[in-house]
Amino acid sequence: MRISEVFRSLDLEIHVEGDLGKALSGGVVGDLLSFVMKVAGEGSVWITVQNHVNVAAVAVLKEIPFVLLASGRVPSPELVDRCRQEGITLATSALDAYPLCGKLYELGLKD
Amino acid sequence: MGEPVLLEFEVKPLDFLAAGEAAEHVKETLKTLGLSSDICRRAAVVAYEAEMNLVIHGGGGRMVLRVEEDRIAIIAVDKGPGIPDLSLAMQEGYSTAPDYIREMGFGAGMGLSNIKRNSDEFEIDTEIGKGTKLVSVIYIK
Repeated sequence: MRISEVFRSLDLEIHVEGDLGKALSGGVVGDLLSFVMKVAGEGSVWITVQNHVNVAAVAVLKEIPFVLLASGRVPSPELVDRCRQEGITLATSALDAYPLCGKLYELGLKD
Repeated sequence: MGEPVLLEFEVKPLDFLAAGEAAEHVKETLKTLGLSSDICRRAAVVAYEAEMNLVIHGGGGRMVLRVEEDRIAIIAVDKGPGIPDLSLAMQEGYSTAPDYIREMGFGAGMGLSNIKRNSDEFEIDTEIGKGTKLVSVIYIK
């Protein structure tokens, strides 16, 4: 599934538009950065409530193209800047992580 | 590859805006050298966790990347407080990070175990009041 399909299907506020044509390999959800460093697969969407700049560093290192903030979290300006520099798509959903993951699963993102 | 590639980074204490930059340089350098993505990914995890340990626990320090014919070494050196109980620090989930740092998602107590899991050789020398030296080696297949 491409990032653009997620945008078409879910009601998201977009902060940074990276490569929306990029195909997602799966998803990871977590707010502990080292946990995400451990388990995230390359090409995943990352669902988190962490909204500070270090999220971008983890995304770059794990080659995560799409960071999706749950629970209406607003990204810090530094996070927006870094995502822009690195070409990482950044968006917010008003949904909490659990229903948000459920929606993504329904869309076919099951890994 | 001829001469070893040597890069050194200074990591500042508690600078969360810059945190992760050294690890990103490490990964970029290894990619530029044409190393496999598996090696680059493992080295990125090691470098990130080692860098974050310098930021959070070590009072800052130096991180060195050394790339030789058959191996990568990532070395992190600090003059921080040292690790009182290394076997406890190696346990996943054990952390001494303060609450405000944990709230940012750091201090999961997974740093050292993440480093060890991604290393082919792993060594820590630590002395209370003197500092800590961590060496992680990844073999290039």
